[in-house]
Amino acid sequence: MEEKVPIVEMRNIKKSFGGVHALRGIDLKLQRNEVLGLVGDNAAGKSTLMKVLSGAHKLDEGEIFIEGKRVHITSPWDARRIGIEMVYQDLALADNLDVSANVFLGREVASTKLGPVSVMNKHHMEIETKRLIDRLKIDIPSVRSVVERLSGGQRQAIAIARATAFNNKVTIMDEPTAALSVAAISKVLDLVRELKAQGNSIIIISHRMEDIYQVSDRMIVMRHGCKVRDCPVVGDLDEFREQVVAYIIGARDDFAERGVN
Amino acid sequence: MNARKSKTSFLKEGKVVFKENIRDVGMYIALFAIMLFFTIATKGIFISSRNISNLINQTGYIAVLAVGMTLVIIIRHIDLSVGFLSGFLGAIAAIVMVSWHMPTGVSIVVTLSLGVLAGLLTGFLVAQMKIPAFVATLAGWLGYRGALQLATMAKGTIIIPNAAFNAISNGYLPDIPNIKIFPGVHKVTLILGVLLAIAFIINAIRERRSTRSYKFKVLPIEFFILKLALMSVLIGGITWVLSGYRGLSWTAVIVFSVSLLYNFMMTQTFLGRHIYAVGGNPEAAELSGISVKKITYVVFGSMGMLAGLSGIMFASRLQSATTTAGQLFELDAIAAAFVGGASATGGVGKVTGSIIGAFVMMSLTNGMNLMGIDISFQYIVRATVLAGAVIFDVAARSKKD
Repeated sequence: MEEKVPIVEMRNIKKSFGGVHALRGIDLKLQRNEVLGLVGDNAAGKSTLMKVLSGAHKLDEGEIFIEGKRVHITSPWDARRIGIEMVYQDLALADNLDVSANVFLGREVASTKLGPVSVMNKHHMEIETKRLIDRLKIDIPSVRSVVERLSGGQRQAIAIARATAFNNKVTIMDEPTAALSVAAISKVLDLVRELKAQGNSIIIISHRMEDIYQVSDRMIVMRHGCKVRDCPVVGDLDEFREQVVAYIIGARDDFAERGVN
Repeated sequence: MNARKSKTSFLKEGKVVFKENIRDVGMYIALFAIMLFFTIATKGIFISSRNISNLINQTGYIAVLAVGMTLVIIIRHIDLSVGFLSGFLGAIAAIVMVSWHMPTGVSIVVTLSLGVLAGLLTGFLVAQMKIPAFVATLAGWLGYRGALQLATMAKGTIIIPNAAFNAISNGYLPDIPNIKIFPGVHKVTLILGVLLAIAFIINAIRERRSTRSYKFKVLPIEFFILKLALMSVLIGGITWVLSGYRGLSWTAVIVFSVSLLYNFMMTQTFLGRHIYAVGGNPEAAELSGISVKKITYVVFGSMGMLAGLSGIMFASRLQSATTTAGQLFELDAIAAAFVGGASATGGVGKVTGSIIGAFVMMSLTNGMNLMGIDISFQYIVRATVLAGAVIFDVAARSKKD
């Protein structure tokens, strides 16, 4: 049996800000249709690693492969063209626009083009948005609802739907459940499961162990810019949590022999 | 009993419709109330054909500025320079015709182009140099004021002799000669009014049909008909009043065209959507591949062009360029935009709203002038209306259901 080519592979990624080593040579693999949880304490480097992948930060050293092909990502727009979408924690949506406008923001569909002026095909975009929302079982009053008027959970769902609307290869979610109510969190997790069921490949950053436990196939624990654990998510929640905490606080480290520079 | 039931549900629905559209509806009601008040207070002089015609010509050069200002406010900036820029560009238009002996068309093209350049300069300061728009355009306010005084220094006031140029703000659409019916009524205006009302109704019905066919919520049918009826009466009333004097002025045509064009741009094109997105969330817009810089340039460039248009309209109205032209225009335009529902926090505002806002503010001035109210009280009344409109707006916005 040949080895599967991972949809994302990051090799020996290094990134420093001034004298601070945020990433000290990280390896990461994401298989097709896999949900990968990324956990760690504040400043462990989770977000930095994902920002490197999504083009918000440029890497100092290391290589990124998408479906086995080496890519160079220098801007969020680059990443998006390659098929990497990131759902940012709080700057994802334009509150003053409606759901459909947000889903198609920057990717509007034209009905006619008169020289430099492109006229929007609003109906097409609204129908497509409706289809997307229905397919992902997201509960909102209408695709014409102004985002400002939706709840936190609904907004997060729209942001996630938007990221997955255009046949992307990888979706990165940065703390998708932060600042949400319990009911809203379970809806967002349902949405992640639905996306997985429909074949998406996802990386989730979260502080909440329960979330990672519930939706991830595999997880990576980071500490001080290094990977300290990379394993499938199995066992019962309490055991899982205890184990992960040990890695997060540095009591255990599977990769210790590689040494910290 | 059935009838009573439907009546209460009608009222209930009415309440919902009113609440959902309170900001738009409120503005029209305010304009209507102000006009009604002045009509009664002046024993009908306010609503006379001659005065309404004059009111529209008075509002024109502020209304076009207000349209540009709306876009600037939507992307969270402000432009204080456009008043004196308008005055300065009006003087340039006069100099091109009077000193360079160029025809009206050339003067208009030169003026509008210079306006775009001036706007791009502001855009450069704001987008590239990251200077707050308030400061950058305050510098513009000073600079263009100086430039205006320089331009008019030689003669003080430059008299413009070109008939075509002066017709822009003083001329009216020609009428069809030799028609005996409706003597004393401007037939072309009447016909245009009817056509406009029909176009409006057809467009509304088509829009409603397509919306319904996609199973989206539409206005309840009673309110849809009510809305159509009110708009038809409004269009009909305005054209009837105007056709009683000299018909549609060229100023009215310009203001109508500018608002139609900008309304289309803001609601139907990529550019309009991107402008709203930049105003709503610049970071999200940038991450979506929209260049905030480019949008800033476009918006200030359009503001500059409209300042040129405003300058042309004002110079034409006075048939001359004066040293104080454009003074306080920027504040009138900003007030019009805010009365018209724009929000200083960005992302919110409508072209049509700002046009209505401009008419609200100018109706106050016009009506109080007719009543002979002292200018000092006029400022206080206008201040109250401006503050009231914004308070109403904030209250309506914060009421989330």
